[in-house]
Amino acid sequence: MRILVLSLILFAATNLCAQDRFINGKIFAGTEDSVLAGATISIKGSKTAVVADSEGAFKVKVNGTNPVLVVEHMGYKKTEVPVESKSTINVFLDANPSVLNEVIVTGYGQQTRRTLTSAITSVSSKEIANLPQPNPSSLLQGRASGVQVNNNSGTPGGGVFVRIRGTQSITAGNEPLYVLDGIPLQSDNLSGIGLGGSVTSPLADINPADIESMEVLKDASATAIYGARAANGVVLITTKKGANKKAKISAGYYYGDQEATKLPAVVDGPTFAMLQNEAATNNGTPIPYPDPSSAMNTDWTQFVFQNAKIRNADISVAGGSEKVKYYISANDFRQEGILKNSDYDRRTLRANIDFSATSKLRIGTNVLFSRNNRGRLRNDDNISGGLEGAFFFPHNLPVYQPDGTYTKFGTFENPIAAVDHSKISMTTNRVLSTTYAEIDIIKGLKFRANFSVDYSNVQEDLYDDTWTNAGFSVNGSAQSIALNNINWNQENYFTYTKNISNHSFNLVAGISAQESKTNSTRATGTQFPSNEFRTISSAAVQTASTTGSSWGLASVFGRLTYDYDNKYLATLTFRHDGSSRFGKDNQYGDFPSAAIGWVLTEEKFMQGIPAISNLKIRASYGLTGNQNIADFAARGLWSGAAAYAALAGTTPSQLANPELKWETTKQADIGIDIGLFNDRLTFTADYYHKKTEDLLLQVPTPRSTGFESIYQNFGSLENKGWELAVTADIFRNPAGLNWTFNANISGNKNKILKLASPFVVYNRDLYRYEEGGEMYSFYLHEQTGVDPKTGSPTWADVNGDGKFDPNVDRKIVGTANPKFYGGITNTLNYKNFDLMFFFQYSYGNKQLNWNRFFLEHGGTRATNYSNSQLDRWQKEGDITMIPKMNAANYASDLRPSRFLEDGSYMRLKNISLGYSIPQKLLKKINVSMLRIYVSAQNLITITNYTGLDPELTGTAATALTQGIEFFSMPSPRTIMGGVTITL
Amino acid sequence: MNRIVNINKNTRSLIHHNIRRSRYLGYTILISAIVLGIACKKVLDQKPVVDVDESLAITDTRSAAVAVNGLYNELQNGSYYGRNFQICSDVSADIAQSVGTWDFYREMDTYQVTSGNTEVGNMYYRAYRAINQANNIIARVPELTDVSETLKNLYLGQAYFIRGLAFFDLNRLFGGVPGVVGTLGLPIVLTPSVKIDESAFPSRPSLQEAYNQIEKDLLQALQLLPETNGDNRSQAVKGTARALLSRYYMYVKKFDQTLSYSNLVIADSKYVLNPSFSAIFDNKLTTESIFELNFNASDLSGIRNWYFPSANGGRGDLSAHLNYYNDATADPKDTRGKMFGFDNTSKIYYPTKYKLAGNLDNIHVIRIAEMYLNRAEAKAQLNDLPGALIDLNRVHTRAGCDPLVVAGQTAILAAVLQERKLEFAEEGHRFFDLIRTGNAIAKLSAIDRKNGPNVGLTAPGRQVFPIPSFEINSNKNMTQNDAYK
Repeated sequence: MRILVLSLILFAATNLCAQDRFINGKIFAGTEDSVLAGATISIKGSKTAVVADSEGAFKVKVNGTNPVLVVEHMGYKKTEVPVESKSTINVFLDANPSVLNEVIVTGYGQQTRRTLTSAITSVSSKEIANLPQPNPSSLLQGRASGVQVNNNSGTPGGGVFVRIRGTQSITAGNEPLYVLDGIPLQSDNLSGIGLGGSVTSPLADINPADIESMEVLKDASATAIYGARAANGVVLITTKKGANKKAKISAGYYYGDQEATKLPAVVDGPTFAMLQNEAATNNGTPIPYPDPSSAMNTDWTQFVFQNAKIRNADISVAGGSEKVKYYISANDFRQEGILKNSDYDRRTLRANIDFSATSKLRIGTNVLFSRNNRGRLRNDDNISGGLEGAFFFPHNLPVYQPDGTYTKFGTFENPIAAVDHSKISMTTNRVLSTTYAEIDIIKGLKFRANFSVDYSNVQEDLYDDTWTNAGFSVNGSAQSIALNNINWNQENYFTYTKNISNHSFNLVAGISAQESKTNSTRATGTQFPSNEFRTISSAAVQTASTTGSSWGLASVFGRLTYDYDNKYLATLTFRHDGSSRFGKDNQYGDFPSAAIGWVLTEEKFMQGIPAISNLKIRASYGLTGNQNIADFAARGLWSGAAAYAALAGTTPSQLANPELKWETTKQADIGIDIGLFNDRLTFTADYYHKKTEDLLLQVPTPRSTGFESIYQNFGSLENKGWELAVTADIFRNPAGLNWTFNANISGNKNKILKLASPFVVYNRDLYRYEEGGEMYSFYLHEQTGVDPKTGSPTWADVNGDGKFDPNVDRKIVGTANPKFYGGITNTLNYKNFDLMFFFQYSYGNKQLNWNRFFLEHGGTRATNYSNSQLDRWQKEGDITMIPKMNAANYASDLRPSRFLEDGSYMRLKNISLGYSIPQKLLKKINVSMLRIYVSAQNLITITNYTGLDPELTGTAATALTQGIEFFSMPSPRTIMGGVTITL
Repeated sequence: MNRIVNINKNTRSLIHHNIRRSRYLGYTILISAIVLGIACKKVLDQKPVVDVDESLAITDTRSAAVAVNGLYNELQNGSYYGRNFQICSDVSADIAQSVGTWDFYREMDTYQVTSGNTEVGNMYYRAYRAINQANNIIARVPELTDVSETLKNLYLGQAYFIRGLAFFDLNRLFGGVPGVVGTLGLPIVLTPSVKIDESAFPSRPSLQEAYNQIEKDLLQALQLLPETNGDNRSQAVKGTARALLSRYYMYVKKFDQTLSYSNLVIADSKYVLNPSFSAIFDNKLTTESIFELNFNASDLSGIRNWYFPSANGGRGDLSAHLNYYNDATADPKDTRGKMFGFDNTSKIYYPTKYKLAGNLDNIHVIRIAEMYLNRAEAKAQLNDLPGALIDLNRVHTRAGCDPLVVAGQTAILAAVLQERKLEFAEEGHRFFDLIRTGNAIAKLSAIDRKNGPNVGLTAPGRQVFPIPSFEINSNKNMTQNDAYK
């Protein structure tokens, strides 16, 4: 190194006498530990500009008197250095914390926020560090405007409901596309074991501590480069990388305790007997419990809920040299569920290596190996679950029968048997690997080839032993599923950057191909020798089946970014996608978008207003697509899954639609970015209007055709909404108090514009989809009250015929969509202390408390009651919504709206308090950072909702249902402490 | 100094070399990218792994034979004869009640069925699936060139039979019985569905037209089917068609036809009353059975699961009405009264006719006992009272009871109806027997329930189920039954 510098000095010295002379030097980020590639070095007042090479070195010709070098790099402060008589100049750039210089990852590239024309929200590693949540997508909750996240279940590693700017589609998928370091991720539930509505999220395979940033691409300008999969928005996840620095070893550990925020509110044994008697009396039938007060009282909830542990250990080493940069990490995460025998543990290894093979060629690889194991329960709309049992079992029953067996009751599983005697596990081995080569062809022109593989191997095993209902009569019942899913993706693209005086161009153009194949084998077994034998090979009766599917996508894409003097900005994006899922006649689709931006603060007329440090307006419009339907949805198919006992059989399974094509979302977005007082106070606001057309609609067909539905491009819906994000550096005093405030709020209005015919979904037709309606609209009998004279419920007479008929007097009573939602974060630090508290909220959404529907049965069932039943009408003059307990008032054909509750809530989602050990103490032990902290999650929830958790949805993610609590495990309250250390 | 220069040279040549190498590498990457670009089109060419294209479905003898097996698979489904059809009948009648969480059976039990009732919808859809499957066979098999006439007749005969059966069931459930209840039949669909056009939105014919179509299909089946095929019981043969015709003519009150078809079946040596009643259900494909759906470990039936309490490894959603239990056990000699279990936790009786662990029970659609009772009823209607009594007692005494002594047409008809109740409980007859004989309103009153007051069927229009809401929503030509408007 020294020799090189010397030689450079010598080289320079020989030219010293010339009028034009060359200056050599290197650019560093902060300290000499890390060189910085790609900075622009220009001479003030001239058009000369050069770019530092991959090792940070540059050489530039200067002339004239008192030349000044101007060094610029994304994310760093613009620095000016007078040349004077020096011939070698090393420049140390300081990172620029201004939000404008924040580097934003875009699809196939990156950009500073300054020149961005699209709506992208970025969530950094700092914001999501050390949160006890294995799933990255749920970390977006409340932190990104325009992103609605519901933790549908508190099941560790369970599914999360994510909507970016509303629900775009009805029957094609609504989940965003996740792209990790350029790999489009497999993010669908891969579990094949039917456990009710409960699903698993493969995103939990990723270690959140490896994440450098998550960018949520929201408007068409940002997403259109992902074309056919972009209509639901795109989440780009970028993992940490090494740098040209000495090795930095970081380790973290936390440990916490989780418990339910609320337990099922059900009545005790004597109260149950009393209520059953009351119903019998009202019905005119003999009372079943002559002495209710003598009833025993078994509290079933204590057998299924537990205080659950959570712990996480992370270690990483990051560093590198000029040639090689590396980030290597390992993670061990274990979380128990607050219901017994549910857990999730994950171990990951990551290696991100970047290697400069030559000065022009860079190659690298990112590899994640993740192995995780879920202990699962029957849950979420499953009558055999332990939580269901704890709700439904009357408390006047004993745990055990005199013969020592568990007490069984009706349809349900004994709660203890459910959690202790059914073993359900899911083990996933996942490899996410991407390898790239990037070559500089000529100045400004780069070519990059990526090849990536996303491979999952899933093993699921279920065993119900003879103490369970399912295992009892067949001497044990087992199921095993082995699934392999492989996605490969090949991308080749050019990036060309050109500056001509004040015009800057950036062009990206490329092609990509992707293919996904899945196959799985399922075996079942019954009749085991004993409960000790659990593999299907021991079962006397065995069955097996195999299945598989595949899809492919081939694409061409491009983007042109232009700016004039950082003042006038424009972006054009285009993608041409072909998908195997569509009909032969319509296999290809085009997805263009355009955006413009105007930075007013770069204009002369704004220079006189120093308070306004940044003012940008931007607008975009574009088309994106959705192809998220079954792999062969366009074909006319017959299935072989139609055996008649031992005889093979076939049956028609799908109607053909060779014209089937993309669902297209047209989105217009206008936005404004404002920075005040040197960007200490910033606002970002957006308004958007999205219209989805040619819906990939499973149009219900008359069942007299022998089919339920056919995929057609029929119908349209729209989403209109607004988003506002504010950041404020309230106090900025490095030696004293620092206080940063972040808040965001988003509102979305969804409307179904056109449908082939209205349709209802879910058991009991609980949701209805109709023109003019919204997604997730609850279709119920509107209960207006309870007649204080008779105790009978009163109902809205929908058709106005003067009487209430449950068959026709039903209507849409509300929707699960919030009017607005968002989050508020306060981050404070004072000297060595730091405090963060984060609120997250949702307002105006309705939540159907379907647990209550079953438990407030007025005596029509033999099952337990919820406490709400105690508010029943009992005597003339009582004012209540809970009718008199008798068969007619709780008739089986009633779907009363009293169970539809206000689901608005605000949560203190996270609060943490940390203390960093002073540097002077750490120096002695060679530690650069050591922080200890305590934190809590879900400490406070403010809501009127009476169920366990206002976020719960107990139905399958694809069921067109949302906002229905149906015996799901709630999210826990967690109290934890931890330590992070950096050497 | 020299050293420095040397190193400098070396560095230069290294850089030079690297540039050359990187160019070479770059070209390699570029070329491979172009090749891959061309290969891109291949990823769009995916073939279904599990299913096959419809054009390959019925092309030769073997594929036609498996499509015929697929007909029975539709009947086997839990939404149809796998459990649902029988349960719909029992719960709607005075046999069984809903004691669990599955509200859809509770709606039937309490005569509050809604058009959104999931089980009613499942039943409807599954029957039409069977019809569409049959229509595919009826449309495609005649065009096959490698299939013998004998086999063509075998396949087509079964398709007509299943279409007739499914259409009969649809009309019994949703249309009514001519002259008793209902005026509109169910849409007649006689061609396979391959695309959605105007023909996919049929309207309802008159109930009589619909019943005529059933007769036409069954007679066509009778003509085409062979006398024997395989085990003669798990797939349709001529005897199966005759037996169903015997039943059909009771619904349209052509008792002479019932008499003659019952005679033909009873005369058929393949079908003999099994001496032991319980053995019919303990074993599979006994001589008792005329049409019996086969189930095995990979193809499970569901009735047992729905009746058996959870303590015995079932779902326990249904149980016997106490009055029905008392009725069935009134005669201590009656072996049919022995087929009950008692759940001590819920204090309910549940039927054990279907009891094989793992839900392996076969399902009986038509038994020879029905032919005797059909004939008894036909004879009674035609005023051959002694003959009627003999047939009735064949079934009654087989159950271990002493012969009945009954006099008078009305009394004999009542005794036949009662015998059918005990004999065919949980086999899907009772509700329809009450309706077709005009006894539903009278008999279905003050029925005891475990979880609530007594219930009864009071609205005559509710002797049929509502057309499912999805059908009303998706087919603009569809008409709802009057009682559900």
